[in-house]
This record gives sequence, C-alpha cells and structure tokens, in this order.
Amino acid sequence: MTRNILLLLSVAILCMYFAIAACAPFIAPYTASEITGAPLQPPGNGHLFGTNQVGQDIFSQLVYGAQITLVFGFGSALLSVAISTWAGTVLGYYGGRVDEVVCRILDVMMPIPTFPLLIVLTAFFNPGVIQVSILMGVLGSIHGIRLIRAPALSLSQTPFVEGAKSIGASDFHIISRHILPNLMPIVTTKFVSSSQHYLVMGVGLSFIGLWDTMTVDWGSMIQNAYAYGALSLGLWWWILPPGIAVVGISLALALAGYSLEEIFNPRVGVNRI
Amino acid sequence: MIDGQYLLRRIGYSGAAFFVCVTITFFILHLMPGDYITNYLLSLSNTLPKEAVEQFYQQYGLDRPLPEQYMIYILNILQGNWGYSYQYGLPVFPMIMEKLSWSLVILLPATVTGILIGTVLGAWSGWKSGGKKDLALFNIMIVFRAIPEFWWAIMAVWIFAFYLQWFPLGGFTSISVLTSGMDPWDVLYHAILPIGLMASFIAAGNYYVMRNSMIAVIGEDYITTARAKGLDERAVLWRHALKNALLPMATMTTFQIAGIIMGNVFIETVFSWPGIGLLTTEALSIRDLPLLEGIFLLDALMTIGAMLTADILASYLDPRIRMGGHD
Repeated sequence: MTRNILLLLSVAILCMYFAIAACAPFIAPYTASEITGAPLQPPGNGHLFGTNQVGQDIFSQLVYGAQITLVFGFGSALLSVAISTWAGTVLGYYGGRVDEVVCRILDVMMPIPTFPLLIVLTAFFNPGVIQVSILMGVLGSIHGIRLIRAPALSLSQTPFVEGAKSIGASDFHIISRHILPNLMPIVTTKFVSSSQHYLVMGVGLSFIGLWDTMTVDWGSMIQNAYAYGALSLGLWWWILPPGIAVVGISLALALAGYSLEEIFNPRVGVNRI
Repeated sequence: MIDGQYLLRRIGYSGAAFFVCVTITFFILHLMPGDYITNYLLSLSNTLPKEAVEQFYQQYGLDRPLPEQYMIYILNILQGNWGYSYQYGLPVFPMIMEKLSWSLVILLPATVTGILIGTVLGAWSGWKSGGKKDLALFNIMIVFRAIPEFWWAIMAVWIFAFYLQWFPLGGFTSISVLTSGMDPWDVLYHAILPIGLMASFIAAGNYYVMRNSMIAVIGEDYITTARAKGLDERAVLWRHALKNALLPMATMTTFQIAGIIMGNVFIETVFSWPGIGLLTTEALSIRDLPLLEGIFLLDALMTIGAMLTADILASYLDPRIRMGGHD
C-alpha cells in the first residue's frame, strides 16, 4: 500500500513543479534578470524572498529557474531514454552485422569516463541549457543502449514473437505491439531515475560555475548566494529557497523511481508490507 | 573463468578506448573557443606585447598545424612526458600528483569507511528485510541519497562550522601553518567534516546495492535448501547468503576506488579543499590545456583500468560468470 501512496505523492509534487514552471509568467511578479529595487533586501515589501546582491527578486528567479532546471532534467532524460530505447530495440530485434559493429563501438565507448568528458564538452559548446541537455542525454544513452538491448534480444526470441512472425506480422507491428510494451517497465524506471540523476548533475554543473552564468537556474542561484557569503551574513532567505526547491524535486523523483522499481520488480519489494 | 583469447581482446578494447579518449580530449581542448592568452592573460592586462604572445605560441608548439601537434602529443605521452602547465610553467605530472595527494587525504578514508559502513548496514538490512528497523533505515538512506551532495555540504558548513563553530569554515589548514609548520592534527581537524559527509554519501549508495543484492540472494533456492537441511540461521547467513550477496559489491567498489582519482569537485568547491577537482575547474576556466589533458589522461586510465579489473575480478569470484561467456 505504502508504495502506491508514495508514488502518488511524488507524482503530485512533480505536477506542482511543472505547473509552476508552466505558469511562471503569471506567478512571478518580475522577470528573472530585472533589477527591481535595493540590493540585499530581506523578505517582505513586495519581495517574498528578498533581493540578491544586484537587486533582482529572488522569488521570481526561483519561479523562472524552475523552467530551466526542469528542461535540462527531463529533456536530457527523455533524449537519453529515447535514443537508448530506439537503438536498443532495433539492435536487439534485428541483430546481425550492424548489431555486432555497434556493440564493438559501444565496447570502446563504455570505459570513457563520462563526467570529465561532460565537463570538457560543456566548456566547448558555448554552454547553454539546450546544449548541456543534449550532451547529457547523448552521453547517458551509451550505457542505456546496453541496458535495453539485452531484454529486447531475449524478448525477440520468445514464443509469442515467433508466433507473431509465423502468422506474417510485420516487424513494425511486432516491435510496437509485442516488444515495446514488455520493455516499458525498464524504460519507465530508467527514465525516472535518469531524470533525477541529470537534474542533480545539471544543478551541480551550474553550481560549480561551468555554465553560461547569465542563465538563471537553481544551481547558479545557489552558487551566487554561496559565493557572496549568504550563509556567513545570515541571509538564509537567499540560499535556502533554491536549495529546498532542488531537494524537493530530487526527493520526489527518487521516491517515484524506487516505488516504480518495487512495482515492476516485485522481488525487491516482496518483503515490504 | 577467463578465456585467454577473450581477455586479450578485452585488453585490446581497453587500449582502443584509451586512445579514443585521448584523441577526443585533445581535439576538443585544442578546438575550444578561447585560449590561455584570451581567457586569462588578457583579463589581467589589456595590452600584451605581440612578441610575448608569439613566443608563448612558439614555446608550447601552438603555432604548428593541429595534426602535427597531435602527433607530438601522442609521442610525448607514450614516452611519459605529459607536458608543462601554461600557468605554472611546471611539469604537469608532479603537479597533478601533488593535488591528488590532497584529494586522497579526504577521499581515501571517506571511500573506505563509506564502503564498509554501507556494505555492513546493507547486508543487515537485507537480511532483516521487511522488519520495522529495515524499513526505517531504508527510507532514511533513500532520502539521504536523493539530496545533492553539494547541498549537504553547504548545510553542513552552515550548521557545524558557522553556527556551532565545531569545525573551520573551509580550507585545509589554519593560518598558523606559516609560523609553526604543517600540523597533521590541524589538517585532520579541517578534514573531518568533508570526510564524514562523503563517507555517509558513499555508504548510502553502497547500502542500497548491498540490500537489494541480499534480498535477491535470500529468495534463491539454495538458501531454502540450506534452511531445509537444518542449518542454523547464522550458518545460512555467513556461509551461503553473505558470500553470494557480496559479488555485485566487488564491481562497485572497484569503480569507487578508481573514482578517487577524479577527486570530488563539489565537496572540494564547498570546503575550499585544494584537491584535483578544484584544479580541474581552475584549469578549465583559464584554458590551461596541458594540465587538463594530464588530468583527463589519468581519469581515462583509471576508469578503463577499473572496468577491466572489475570484469576479471567478477569472473574469478564467481566461476559461473565465464568472461565473455556468450560469444
């Protein structure tokens, strides 16, 4: 029972984040980069969380930052899962020469350390949100293809697929009606866990200042507040809101991921009553 | 067991991966917009004498065509010459080793204790799975792991160093180092907070894997058999369950130990710890190419080595895994 409640709760939290991001222009009183008043104001006086060191409204930055953070979190996860599902299914189903060549290439690509490569590539492509999301998605799919290919391969040798073939079903029909539905549990779980992973990684990259510093997202807000000594000056309203926002969505995604894993993989959850 | 031919092929792949990695980093770094002069020196002074710039390019061979630079670079690293840093003018390898030793001061104890604590707790939790204590621990670990590491670090600095003032705000030694020399106790005093934090974070990750592996093993038929033939629970745990449940941990710990080399950018940034992670971001922002190439070379070497080691280790520990069995 608990896992269903947890799953619903985390989905509700995620919906709230998406709603805030989608309605940002209606919720936020100012734009993210607009200078709205005296710098370093405490909360109140039209500024829910006060203002930062140049007088930008922290609440508005938080609301607009949700858009950026959600785009790179879910965008890169979507891209990565889409590439790995497509490539994994096609390779696993058709096999043959192409499969062998791609697997050899993956063998060579697998040991390449992802995180340093990501840092270098981020610096190389004039780092904007879209570029970083695409990079994270493409790099992440290297491991994902392997993950999807193995079950796709074993599914394509099952009796029901052979049966479908024998009555003359087309490859497209078999893949879309018989193989993909059976892969959905893995794909969904992978998508949720990758979103959490990429979201935290993106916020982290932006926290260590490897992005375009003009883009306001939660990581750069935390970095900005931290670098200007918000903690030692006691300006908690500057650094806590973006931090709590990141923690909230990361927790919701993690809980959703674990609940899904328990639902799809009953053995992990068999002892959990 | 390991098939000799397969092992040779794996070593071949690893070599190819290393070569690909070195090539990618070389070309990306050299084609990157901005260089040391434009990104760093020009920010210090607006006018640089043209001769000085030309001499810099010539000294580091940057005036030659890129393919030639690449050939020279490959030949040099094969001979163990990793180049000279632009900013410091020092050989790259000793520089990296110096920063790496500072990273190791916090990462080595953190990784070892983290792995031990995580494995023990995970084994216990998996063995007792379903109980109240297991569920409580499991939920705590999930929540702990879900929160970004750098946010924990910021909160730790805020609470323990700023409000409670139990620990220093950052850095690796007190100012007294200038008069009385380096004091190991002083370094330890600065290191406790980052070590504790990273150890808990690593422990939470290992806990999850170990717990899952333990639960999977408990469901196996041979555990039922062991119980059915009347073995007492302790023998089942120590002789049958634990040994098998530890198998996936071998792979995981190999990677974690290799990962020490990369440092921890987030922890080092928050605690101003002068390790390899901080060196990387600094070198990247001022475009110190030889230094960056050196760091990535080391990273690639360690990751690729770890992957090979993990595979060999797994097939020795579990004879059922014949390395490359399926092909």
